[in-house]
Amino acid sequence: MTDPVMWKPRGRLFDLRGTLTGPYDQRWMPRQLSGLTTGVVCATTVDDVTVIATESLSKRFPRVTALDRLSMDIGPGVTGLVGANGAGKSTLIKILLGLSPATEGRATVLGLDVATEGGAIRERVGYMPEHDCLPPDVSATEFVVHMARMSGLPPAAARERTADTLRHVGLYEERYRPIGGYSTGMKQRVKLAQALVHDPQLVFLDEPTNGLDPVGRDEMLGLIRRIHTDFGISVLVTSHLLGELERTCDHVVVVDGGKLLRSSSTTDFTQNTAVLAIEVTDTDDHPDGTRAVRDALHARGVDTHDGSGLPGAGHILLLTAQGEDTYDLVRDTVADLGLGLVRMEQRRHHISEVFTDSDAQQADEQQSVSAGKEAVGHGG
Amino acid sequence: MTTLNIDHVSRWFGNVVAVNDITMTIGPGVTGLLGPNGAGKSTLINMMGGFLAPSTGTVTLDGQPVWRNEQIYKHIGIVPEREAMYDFLTGREFVVANAELHGLGAKAAGRALATVEMEYAQDRKISTYSKGMRQRVKMASALVHDPSLLLLDEPFNGMDPRQRMQLMDLLRRMGAEGRTVLFSSHILEEVEQLASHIEVVVAGRHAASGDFRRIRRLMTDRPHRYLVRSSDDRALAAALIADPSTSGIEVDLAEGALRIQAVDFGRFTALLPRVARDHGIRLLTVSPSDESLESVFSYLVAA
Amino acid sequence: MAVEQTPAQAGAQSRIHNIGYRSYDGQRLGRAYARRSLYSQSLRGAYGLGRSVKSKVLPMVLFAVMCAPAAIMVAVTVATTAKELPVEYTNYAIVMQAVIGLYVASQAPQAVSRDLRFKTVPLYFSRPIETADYVRAKFAALASALFLITAVPLVVLYVGALLAKLDFTDQTKGFLQGLVSVALLSLLFAGIGLVISAVTPRRGFGIAAVIAVLTISYGAVSTLQAIADAQGSSGAVPWIGLFSPITLVDGVQTAFLGATSAYPGGVGPSTGEGVIFLLAVLGLIAGCYGLLMRRYRKVGL
Repeated sequence: MTDPVMWKPRGRLFDLRGTLTGPYDQRWMPRQLSGLTTGVVCATTVDDVTVIATESLSKRFPRVTALDRLSMDIGPGVTGLVGANGAGKSTLIKILLGLSPATEGRATVLGLDVATEGGAIRERVGYMPEHDCLPPDVSATEFVVHMARMSGLPPAAARERTADTLRHVGLYEERYRPIGGYSTGMKQRVKLAQALVHDPQLVFLDEPTNGLDPVGRDEMLGLIRRIHTDFGISVLVTSHLLGELERTCDHVVVVDGGKLLRSSSTTDFTQNTAVLAIEVTDTDDHPDGTRAVRDALHARGVDTHDGSGLPGAGHILLLTAQGEDTYDLVRDTVADLGLGLVRMEQRRHHISEVFTDSDAQQADEQQSVSAGKEAVGHGG
Repeated sequence: MTTLNIDHVSRWFGNVVAVNDITMTIGPGVTGLLGPNGAGKSTLINMMGGFLAPSTGTVTLDGQPVWRNEQIYKHIGIVPEREAMYDFLTGREFVVANAELHGLGAKAAGRALATVEMEYAQDRKISTYSKGMRQRVKMASALVHDPSLLLLDEPFNGMDPRQRMQLMDLLRRMGAEGRTVLFSSHILEEVEQLASHIEVVVAGRHAASGDFRRIRRLMTDRPHRYLVRSSDDRALAAALIADPSTSGIEVDLAEGALRIQAVDFGRFTALLPRVARDHGIRLLTVSPSDESLESVFSYLVAA
Repeated sequence: MAVEQTPAQAGAQSRIHNIGYRSYDGQRLGRAYARRSLYSQSLRGAYGLGRSVKSKVLPMVLFAVMCAPAAIMVAVTVATTAKELPVEYTNYAIVMQAVIGLYVASQAPQAVSRDLRFKTVPLYFSRPIETADYVRAKFAALASALFLITAVPLVVLYVGALLAKLDFTDQTKGFLQGLVSVALLSLLFAGIGLVISAVTPRRGFGIAAVIAVLTISYGAVSTLQAIADAQGSSGAVPWIGLFSPITLVDGVQTAFLGATSAYPGGVGPSTGEGVIFLLAVLGLIAGCYGLLMRRYRKVGL
């Protein structure tokens, strides 16, 4: 089932099915985007448009290599960039904005070469920095109008778009007060507004939820989602928080130590496993409901083990589903015991596993290298 | 020396009440101190560490007061939020200096550095360290005297996922060893992964304490929300709504699931498998959709 | 997404208008326009326009202080029906250098330190402008602001002189020479002020540093010149004048613009020597521009 997709004259993709979504809303289904991890850059489907493409991109400083032969291909939608330490991430953004030359490799943004068409890129791209960057003595309106004009909008359009954009990011009366008096959430909104006011095709949001409390974080993530679904603007978000990225992004790029670790759609990262997690209540008849279920299932030949959770995290039993009958088995067992079924769900993968897997892989490699060395040493 | 008792503690700065009549007990293991920005977490941690005196109430560690009690400081390690450090020192020099303040020597420093896995970089200047490395060196200096109480104020701030995982492993190990570890955060994701026990502070008041799933079950005035997928959603819905334990069932066509509001948690959970079995309906997914720490937290904040 | 319903009566139509996000398909005016916008914003800011009330006070007061003596001189000239103005056009700025120095010291940091201190510079450079655009706009804005504050008194003098029925050709010639001189001065002072201010994000340090540089250089140079003159080596006097901005301008205008030198002993550089002075001024201006470009390239994003 393909999503109905419509081309707008200027080449942006609109998803007619896109609805307003909030962070808890699991309804949206991420579009399938190409995620390649090799050096070849190509589009794999007819609908696919590459928004950012890099080919063996490297940036070396005297003491540190910020980017190491990074090759990735990012399509429209909300893409998360995670894992890069400070040097790598800001270096990448500088290069993509055409402000810093790469040591090696190539990159294109919206089809424009970063090395030669930097100005054209910056015309079509918005940037929201991670750090504080707002002067405290002007109002949000004044500031964003000035920034709009610096992006080339004529005065009338600058004013109108500023008013509209500030409304879309959620700043109302406060926009006439000096920015110095704003809360962190409001300041982040102003930063976002100046990135959107000139109607870019792509925005770079650098840690947009930094310093926000959970409610503000939710609102910002919802806003980011809207930027894509309602405004039709592609987004590249960087964050340290994998949970946020799992919720908000269609596609996630994991960079570690300047190298690409993995680049796939979020659904790829968070696929269901074959493991079933079960949680039951305790009753008077069975004060340890979990044990009762475990024993009963064991009697039927189903092996379970304890969920590796936190000590007080409720008792979760894990078992491997052997086909659909397992579900019925669990249901009946729980019903027979008269216990309450609190949870029965397939465990899914998490983005964080990418790190642990790569660590394990590295450890294995090191082991095999040292084993190899030993073998050589022993004349093997 | 592992139980921290906070008894009716308040702290004000002029008219600003940062901590408002909080009573809590922190025992061994890892506890998360959770709250929105400005809720008073840092103030509370400073009082626990003996940096600040409570305006009223007492803070005691295993019965002994913490404020101005040098003997107790031997048992407390604190990793504050501020980043300022002596950049010109090497990691080892910094930890050794701290060790000497406690009357210990380079050996203790070496042990601490080994615990945080910073031995490989101990002879480099701190100015060359990344954020995660600095945090770990700070931890080493807080661990050098082997304290039984470890307090960390926003330790994961700005760390990337890898550094965060390493620090979490370290804290879990500390907790498993029987130490009392308390860390504060306003990023729920981190707290969820690490803390078995949470304390929620909202606007200086103590809002909740315990395991967040159990806290959720205590919120009886809010219907529990469940997401249920089955082989025959509508039949299941019809059977469930007949029972007073549910107050609302929504058929979510996009998800292909039922969204159920259950007003009686115990009764509903027992009802579900029974009803499904009796009607021959296969249950595929049963998932409490508002048991997340975020949901619990937003409820507590709104109170 | 307009929803139309069949009207119950003619003219009673209901609709919902789409106030969602609108894309922008209009023109985008490019770098020159952006430069102009930054220029006008900075120029207005140099007089406190578009900023808080407090920030208007100093520039406006300094402006008034610059113009007041001119107005007084005009009044005196008219009243005493003198044959010429008490002070030459080219001399006015030299006389009022303290006020000009104060103005530069207060407004140069305001122009650039704020963007550096609050780290707004990355927002500028993430837009389709280049480093040169930013630097040129700021430079031009501060130079224009200085030109205003130094030229308007000259206009006052000129108009007053004409009102006092002094010789038209003479006065016009003097006025134009004065204008050229203050133009050079504006560019020079703007460059120096901006370079010093751009070094530090703290406005206070910038103010102090600019004042220090201008005052100390002038003090040192004029002391040395006085000593040289007293010791009889009046040939050295002009050369010492190379080392302070205001005396540099003085030298140039003495050599080329028919001004009377303000150096001790009244001996300015000859036309030949004046070439060096002119080169020094132009070199300094270019050097300041280059330093600013380097500074902002480093700060970048």
